[in-house]
Amino acid sequence: MSSARSGQADGLAIQDLLRELAPQVLGALLRRHDGLDSCEDAVQEALLDAATQWPRSGTPANPRGWLLTVATRRLVDMLRSEAARRRREDAVYVATPTAPGAEGSIADAGAADRDDTLLLLFLCCHPALTPSSAVALTLRAVGGLTTAEIASAFGVSEATMAQRVSRAKQQIRDAGARFTPPGPAERDRRLGAVQQVLYLVFNEGYTASAGQELLRTDLTAEGIRLGRLLHTLLPDDAESAGLLALMLLTDARRAARTDTGGALIPLTEQDRGRWDQRLITEGTALVERTLATTKALGPYQIQAAIAAVHDEAASVADTDWAQVLALYQLLDTVAPGPMVSLGRAVAVAMVHGPQAGLAATGELAGALGRHHRYHAVRGHLHEMAGDRASAAEEYRTAARFATNIPEKRYLERKLTGLG
Amino acid sequence: MKYMLIIYGNQELWNSIDPAEQQRMFAAFDAFNKKHYASGELLGAYGVADAAATKLVRVRDGQPAVTDGPYLETKEYLASWYLLDVDSEQRALEIAAELPSAVFQPTEVWPILHEAARDTGADMGVI
Repeated sequence: MSSARSGQADGLAIQDLLRELAPQVLGALLRRHDGLDSCEDAVQEALLDAATQWPRSGTPANPRGWLLTVATRRLVDMLRSEAARRRREDAVYVATPTAPGAEGSIADAGAADRDDTLLLLFLCCHPALTPSSAVALTLRAVGGLTTAEIASAFGVSEATMAQRVSRAKQQIRDAGARFTPPGPAERDRRLGAVQQVLYLVFNEGYTASAGQELLRTDLTAEGIRLGRLLHTLLPDDAESAGLLALMLLTDARRAARTDTGGALIPLTEQDRGRWDQRLITEGTALVERTLATTKALGPYQIQAAIAAVHDEAASVADTDWAQVLALYQLLDTVAPGPMVSLGRAVAVAMVHGPQAGLAATGELAGALGRHHRYHAVRGHLHEMAGDRASAAEEYRTAARFATNIPEKRYLERKLTGLG
Repeated sequence: MKYMLIIYGNQELWNSIDPAEQQRMFAAFDAFNKKHYASGELLGAYGVADAAATKLVRVRDGQPAVTDGPYLETKEYLASWYLLDVDSEQRALEIAAELPSAVFQPTEVWPILHEAARDTGADMGVI
């Protein structure tokens, strides 16, 4: 029996529990006290207290109640010292409960908690915030990560990330955003903003290269964890389900996506044996269930469906490209954009041949002429058509516009391969 | 996404600016730095010292040789640079336009090569 190992396991279990409880405790605190910034700081301090005390003294019988009590005490302390500093005694008033009777609801963690967590997501992904501010705040307030962890994940200093978080809180204050549900007309737009932020978190992790530092927080896993949370909160929302499915089906390919040197391996050349079948099964089931019942077909559901077609195919040749093309056509009507048209052009090439695909990219030169992906696709299609000179020209241009190192290396390798 | 803003300049150009105007410029640069450090978008702001203080290092036959220089033939040299971490190229361009020097000297906006990209998450088709 290794006590060191079980101690470590306990530590990880406590960390998971704390991060699960973080948004619930913050939600409960916000329900009774105004001010996201001070409430959020108070919860972070309570989490820190728990992380240092619980491994020694054991996890309390009611961990959520413990955290809420400590966070409330911290908040009152903060507001008192603030009041003293400003010589404004009445600031303590802010720390008094705003909703009489709220006390009784602390202990039961049920529907109220789910509502609180959703409200917290709406608040942290408020449209008044820039995307990077919303991402930082969501990871801290809902994800329960420390500023140092978020900073390390984004490769910026802790001071920079602390600025970003406090800036985000400032923007929320300035916008007069409250911890209250948005109206029915506003709700869809706000939910869309939440989904976009979670997808940004996921993407940030997914596109990171291999060989990352050990301390780097796994943003992909965090994106999926938050995606699961959103899906649990809103099981009937088809786009939230689609978003989770898209993350699972994309993450399934992660291990096969880069080689040991960190260079990008495209879908066509990936070792499909390294795809994660457990994630594919879960993602596929989720997207099938969602598409069967959806009342509002949206871009996340369609992208998840495209990912599912790829993930289920044993090889590029086995891929149901007609199905991919049909889905891209659908995506093009629901959420048109040059990148979607580019994806459709690839599907056109796989169904109708490279010349048809090239013709389909023609109208995109204006919008994407300075984007590496446009030239990479055209390079690939020229290569399919056997025109090596044009392919080389396109790959060269693509490599010049790429700013992502693994992608740049991949494109330069393609160029060398043609030479 | 990280971007580098680069401003070229020379002592002559700077000397041609009236001293009171120079003081206003310093204050404007300070305000620019403060504002963008506060948002977390500015990661660093640097400027080079006078070209007279510069040295050149070469390695010949495994031995480093240090000399004065470079004696620039170009009239303008790298004068200052700013490292940004922003949501989009659009945002980097907006910040570049806020540089107080932008009224008399253009700013180059260079994307920085990076390991991770925010815009290329989902694999698309065959690429």
